Amino acid sequence: MSALGELAALRKTKGTKDTLSPSERGDNKAAIFFLAPWFIGLGLITAGPLLASLYLSFTDYSLLEAPSWIGVENYLRMLDDPRLHNSLVVTFTYVFVSVPLQLAAALALAMVLDRGLRGLAIYRSVYYLPSLLGGSVAIAILWRQIFGTNGLVNQVLALVGLEGPGWVSHPDYALGTLMILNVWTFGAPMIIFLAGLRQIPEMYYEASSIDGAGRVRKFVSITLPLLTPIIFFNLVLQVIGAFQAFTQAFVVSGGGGGPADSTLFYTLYLYQNGFRSFDMGYASAMAWLLLVIIAALTAANFFFSKYWVFYND
Amino acid sequence: MSHHTRTQNPGRRRGMRLAALVAAAGMALTACSGDSGVPGASNDDDGDEPPAAEGEATIRFAWWGSDTRHEVTQEILDNFMAEHPDITVVSDFTDWNGYWDKLATTVAAGDTPDVITQEERYLRDYASRGVLGDLNEHSDVLDLSNIDDSIIEAGQTDGGQYGIPTGVNAYAILADEQIFTDAGVDMPDDETWTWEDYVDIATQISANTDDGVFGAQDYGFNEPGFAIFARQRGESLYNEDGSLGFSADTLAEWWEISLQLRDQGGTPSASETIEIDAGGPEQSLVGTNSGAMAFFWTNQLEAVSNAAGRDITLLRHPGESQFERTGMYFKPAMFYSMAADSEYPEAAATLIDYLLNSEEAAELMLSDRGLPANTEVRAAVQDQFSELDQRSADFLAELEDEIVDGLPVPPVGAGEVAEITRRINAEVLFDRLSPQDAAEQFISEVETATGQ
Repeated sequence: MSALGELAALRKTKGTKDTLSPSERGDNKAAIFFLAPWFIGLGLITAGPLLASLYLSFTDYSLLEAPSWIGVENYLRMLDDPRLHNSLVVTFTYVFVSVPLQLAAALALAMVLDRGLRGLAIYRSVYYLPSLLGGSVAIAILWRQIFGTNGLVNQVLALVGLEGPGWVSHPDYALGTLMILNVWTFGAPMIIFLAGLRQIPEMYYEASSIDGAGRVRKFVSITLPLLTPIIFFNLVLQVIGAFQAFTQAFVVSGGGGGPADSTLFYTLYLYQNGFRSFDMGYASAMAWLLLVIIAALTAANFFFSKYWVFYND
Repeated sequence: MSHHTRTQNPGRRRGMRLAALVAAAGMALTACSGDSGVPGASNDDDGDEPPAAEGEATIRFAWWGSDTRHEVTQEILDNFMAEHPDITVVSDFTDWNGYWDKLATTVAAGDTPDVITQEERYLRDYASRGVLGDLNEHSDVLDLSNIDDSIIEAGQTDGGQYGIPTGVNAYAILADEQIFTDAGVDMPDDETWTWEDYVDIATQISANTDDGVFGAQDYGFNEPGFAIFARQRGESLYNEDGSLGFSADTLAEWWEISLQLRDQGGTPSASETIEIDAGGPEQSLVGTNSGAMAFFWTNQLEAVSNAAGRDITLLRHPGESQFERTGMYFKPAMFYSMAADSEYPEAAATLIDYLLNSEEAAELMLSDRGLPANTEVRAAVQDQFSELDQRSADFLAELEDEIVDGLPVPPVGAGEVAEITRRINAEVLFDRLSPQDAAEQFISEVETATGQ
C-alpha cells in the first residue's frame, strides 16, 4: 500500500506532462520500447503460471492426477506444520543476518574502491565475480569441499592447532556457512554503491574539511545520508533475493535441507513438497504465502524508508 | 583527489526509487529468479513427436544410475534399435536424486516416458494414480515365462502388473578384508554373528587402525536396514495393508546400537558420517579404503569394489540367527514399467521384453540392475560374469534357503520415508533427539506420509 503511495508521490513530483521537453518524451518512448520484452515476458510466461498456482493452492494436486478442489485446507495445514515453521525460522535468520552483513561488506569495499586505486577496473571485476558465481551449482559443490570436516578450511585451522567442525555437515554450523556464502556475493550491491558514491558532490566533502570534519564525521554526516536511497534500493533487492535462496542449500545439503533440517530454506521445503511428496497443491499455497511475506516485508521497507531515506530532492 | 565527476541529479535519484519499486515487484513475482540450478538435468528430448512414417515408433526410456550404467544402457539400446529398425528409443537418464523430481514433473506435464524405471518405494505412488499401464495387456509381446512367479508378483499392486523386476538384490554388508587383516581382527562367521559382535568388531578395528580408518559406516540413513532388523525380531517395516509393523522400542534399539558405535569410535563422528553418506557408494568408507564394513545393495558391489580397488567381500547382516527368524530378503532391484498413456504401447512392451529376455542385453548389463530376473538368461550369461558378479550371484544363491519371505509392496508415500529416515537419523547422530523420541517421531511422520 505504501509502495503505491510512493508511486503516486513520484508521479506528483514529476510535474505535469507539458513540462517535458521533446527529448525527454523521446526518452520515455525509448524506455517503454526497451521494457516491452520484459512486460511481454511477464504477461505470457509469469502471469499464467502465477494464476495457475493460485488455483492449485486451493486443490489437492499430486502432480500425477488431476487437481481436486479442497478450499483453504492447504492454508490451514500450514498452521500445524512444524517443518514449515522451522523453514520460516531458518529463512528469516538467513535473511536478517546475511543481508545486513552483505550490504556492510559491499559498502566497505565500494568505499575502498571509490578512492581511485590504480587498476580499479580489475578490482571491480574481481570483487564482482562472486556475485556471478555465488548462486551456481559448481560453487556450492566447491564450498561443500572447502568446508568439509577434512576440507581446506579445517586444514588451515589445524595448522594453528584448532579443530574445526564440519562446517556444512553439522547442524549448528551449516546455516552460518551458507550465510557466509551469501555475504561473499556482495559484488552486485557493491557496484551499485560505487555508482552512488560517485554521485555525492565533492563540494560537500571540501566544505566539511574546511569546517574541520574528520573521516568518520564525513562518513556519518555526508556519505551515509546521501547514500540512503542506494542503501534502500540494495536492501529491498537483497532481502527479496535472500528469501528466494535455493540453489546453495539444495546442492550443499543434497536437496534435503539437512543436516537435520538446519538448512531447510522455505523454498527448499516448498520444492520438496511439490516434487518429492506429490503435494503440489500445498507447495502452491506455500508459494503464495512466500509472496505475501515478501510483499509485506517490501511494503514495510518502503513504509519505514521515509524515516531514514533521504532523497535530497 | 577529485577525480570523479560528481553530479547532483534529482531526477536520477527519483528514478532510483522507482527502480527499487519495479525491481522489487519483478523479483517477488518471479520466485527463484535465475535459479534453475537443479543438478542432474540431462538430455530431455521430446518423446511424443508424431510418427515419421507408418509403423515407425519413437519411445522414450527413463532410468537413473551411474555413468557406467548410462554407457552400457545406451549400447543395449543401440543394439535394440538395430534389431528393430522401426523403433527409435530416446534415452532419458539422470542420477538417482534428480530422477524422481524429474519424473514427477514430466508426468505432470503430460510427457510421461514410455518405459519407466521404477523402484518399489514409488511403484504404488505411480500405479495407484493411473500413471502406469498394466503390462498383462501386452502378454503377446512381453514374455514372462522364464521369470519366477514370486518375482513377478513383486510388481503386482492395485489390481495390475505395473512393473516387472529387472533383477534381484539383497541388502548386505560389504567388507574390506584387507582392513580386517591390518587391524588383526578375524573375519566374522556371518551366519552366526550377533549385533553385539558387530559393535565389538567395528570398535576393535577402529582402535587397531590408523586415524581416519573406521570399523564401520553408520547404517541409519537407509530404512531397508531397519526392515531387516525388525524382521529378525518377528516384526516388519510395513504390513501387507501398508500399516507399520514394528514397535517404537525396536526402532529405538536400532538407533541405540548406532549411537553406541559412534561413541565407541566404531563409526566416524556425526559430521563425517553426514558427508560420507552424501558421497554415495564411491565415496563410502569401504569405497575409499577407510572403513571395514558398510551396508549396501549387492548390485553396488561392483561400484564400491572399483572405487576401493580392492577385493570386497559380502557378509550377511549380524543377528540373522540371533532372534526369531532371519531378516534378509530379496528385493526387486528396480522395475520396468510402462506409461498408461504411451502412444506406442506395443513398442514400449517390445523394449521391456528385450531388456528382460534378450541374452545380448543381459551380456552387457550383467548384474548392474540386479541379478537377471529371467532364469534362463541368468544361466546363459552366468559364466560371463566378472568375479564380482559371480560373487554376488553365489551369495544370493546361498541366501535362497535362509530367506523366509519377501516384503510386501510398500504403501503409497513410501518414497518420502527415505527422506524422513535420513533427517531423523541426523537428529539422532547429533544428539538432538533421543533414540526413543526419534522412533516415535519417525512413526508419526511415516504414518502421515503413507496416509495411515
